[in-house]
Amino acid sequence: MMHIFSMKSKTKQMSISDIPDAPVLYLPLLQHIGQAAKPIVEVGEYVLKYQLIAEETRNLSANIHAPVSGTIKAIELHPLADGTLVETIVLQNDFRNEEITRPAIEVDNLTSDEILAIIKGAGIVGEGGAQFPTFVKYNLLGKKIDTFIVNGTECEPYLTADYALMRDKTEELFRGILLINKVLQAREIVLSIEKQNKELLDIFSPFLSQSEYKNIRVAILPNQYPQGGELQLIKSVTGKELARGVLPKDEGLMVSNVGTIHAVYNALVESKPLTERIITVSGEQSKKSGNYQVKIGTPISHVLEYQNLTNTLDDKQLVLGGPMMGKNVVETSAPIIKGSSGVLFFKKKEIKRNNCISCGYCVDVCPMKLMPLVFAENYRTGKIASLEKYSLNSCIECAACEYICPSDVPLMESIKEGKIKLNALLTHAN
Amino acid sequence: MQTDSKTIYTPFVRAKDSVWEVMSDVLLALIPCAVISYFAYGEAPLFVMFVAVISAMVGEFIFAGIFLKKWNTLLDGSAIVTAILLAFTLAPFTPWYVVAFGSAMAVIFGKILWGGLGRNMFNPALVGREFMTVFFPLVMTSRTIWYNKDYVNFQDLNIFNFLGNGGFTEYMNSIFFKPSGAIGEYSVLLLVLGGLYLLLRRRISWHIPFGLLVTFFILLQIFAFKDIKFSLGGILLGTLFMATDMPSSASTKMGKLYYGAMIGLVAMLCLLNDVKYEYMSYSILLVNGFVIPINWVFKPKVWGENINLKERVGAGVLLTIGIVATTYALVYLHHFDLVRYLIFAYILIVIGRFSFSKQLH
Repeated sequence: MMHIFSMKSKTKQMSISDIPDAPVLYLPLLQHIGQAAKPIVEVGEYVLKYQLIAEETRNLSANIHAPVSGTIKAIELHPLADGTLVETIVLQNDFRNEEITRPAIEVDNLTSDEILAIIKGAGIVGEGGAQFPTFVKYNLLGKKIDTFIVNGTECEPYLTADYALMRDKTEELFRGILLINKVLQAREIVLSIEKQNKELLDIFSPFLSQSEYKNIRVAILPNQYPQGGELQLIKSVTGKELARGVLPKDEGLMVSNVGTIHAVYNALVESKPLTERIITVSGEQSKKSGNYQVKIGTPISHVLEYQNLTNTLDDKQLVLGGPMMGKNVVETSAPIIKGSSGVLFFKKKEIKRNNCISCGYCVDVCPMKLMPLVFAENYRTGKIASLEKYSLNSCIECAACEYICPSDVPLMESIKEGKIKLNALLTHAN
Repeated sequence: MQTDSKTIYTPFVRAKDSVWEVMSDVLLALIPCAVISYFAYGEAPLFVMFVAVISAMVGEFIFAGIFLKKWNTLLDGSAIVTAILLAFTLAPFTPWYVVAFGSAMAVIFGKILWGGLGRNMFNPALVGREFMTVFFPLVMTSRTIWYNKDYVNFQDLNIFNFLGNGGFTEYMNSIFFKPSGAIGEYSVLLLVLGGLYLLLRRRISWHIPFGLLVTFFILLQIFAFKDIKFSLGGILLGTLFMATDMPSSASTKMGKLYYGAMIGLVAMLCLLNDVKYEYMSYSILLVNGFVIPINWVFKPKVWGENINLKERVGAGVLLTIGIVATTYALVYLHHFDLVRYLIFAYILIVIGRFSFSKQLH
């Protein structure tokens, strides 16, 4: 792991505020790992806020709800930020916010199965970026959880959405943790934060001193990137080094992002499905930086408009997510989805690639203890099979290697494209 | 709707660093030693450095342009570093045309024909030096290039005299300035300071110098009964600035330790076998040739995976046997004056490789 410049001070002090709702929302049927949801509304139909509009299908999928009331304009292919076309429900906002009648839930009397059913119904997926359906993750199938790690280590530069959530919605977060632990029954709950955010302890301590929260302890971890990566976090908290591909659940561990927990709280206590999230808007070109609560489905162009920035990509680099692992935005009409943690505006830069000088910095910073320089060299020279010998598939694509590289070697391109070629080769060989 | 066709990969932020910054740190670390050489032999060593730099830059510009179709490689600063390092290994009165030849060869055969900066297997400065030895054997072995009484500036610079009279003062004075040996070897103290600067700037890691010096000096103790003569300045110049050259050295922490240790071992084997002057360049170049297997054998333990210790140790033993055997072969060639054929073979291989490998162009 490595030290990385934080750039969080731009937005850290800002409380969570709202961006006015967009006139048209784009709700991709695939905002999660797995299979696309199936639309249950028709074009022209009027829907209410929080109404279920697409249903999860059998294999790893998640429900999708209307974030506002309005008319279904279309169900068509629409790009995600990276340009991938996905079947998308287009919702015309009527700005009346007419809600469905939300059932009152007696939270304290819920059984574990009922909690899971509500999480499933609310369409919750991991908000840290992986977008894994949460009800599948929490369904233990008889496994026992020792440690439940609440991931508040937001290690990407610029992002402060999780920080703002922990600071402004502390009670909801703590209640959410306990509700989830009714399912997980973890012996120990660890809320992890970074050292640069240790002032959160002052906000947490009134809760920590209450008897109902006595199982929760706060771990203050070093400001390292990628400290918030699931495997690195598990190692820092428990000392266990899990190989990539091992399910934490099988080792008695569960890691959840604070944003996901907040969504669970909303579903259980407020009976609101996942239709909005907190994002950080920042970056060197950003004019109104801050932590914003936005409706899922809000097109990035709407954020541009709110920033008084032109709706063009010619002069800027837009990123959906963090600057290390986020997505390059190639379509400004693409929406903010359930796993988007930020919208960042950078200057467009031409990167001059040089030869690798074998300085080994990438080897030093690789959190997975790989040799990124070898990936670049073997990819360049077409030695795809030998990528396997250097465990390419263990790479978590955190991009620390290319961040530190003084030659700006195209390491991430070699890794991402190399994985595709290698896995094609491996499938072919079998 | 806006579309951008070229795929852009993560990350979107980068550390502020560049090859130029790496090279300028090395240059900064070398400047004090370059300055002190003036106190030894006046303009002569400065002239050697000047000729080396000009020749390397001209060679780089022309040949990188022609062979690699890159006309801006001078901007990375590596040609200057190579030239200064080469000059540091030379005698202060080496004729200018020999210096110019060596410096150009260092850049062309040490770097460009390998595919440019970073792709070279051997330390370019030392490659240049070997070319000089092979193509100008009489000049390079003559005594006159090492001393010229008309140019002696200072025999000593006793800046530590304020410490009073005594052995310690004398010792400090001698490690600060001693006008003997090659251009870069006049000040042990300034070499160490340069090395410390590079360590602090993380341009070198401690692993290579540590492995090298520990091995070398332990072996020196073991063979204390033999009268081994070596230049401390030469060892330090090689250890801190040549063995740590990024492209030609190992890339993993354990690999660096082993790589350093092997250079220490090979250098000692050379000294024990009567290789009087070339021990440092031989040892570094020889172990440079083993960097690929060293990186493989000493690759880090992948997160969450188990390490096959037995297999690794076996491979390490085999590697060491290979390095020692190669050392003895080299010593044999050296004593029969056959090293030049190695250089001829090197020239053929490098040219052949460049001509037939498409990836280098």
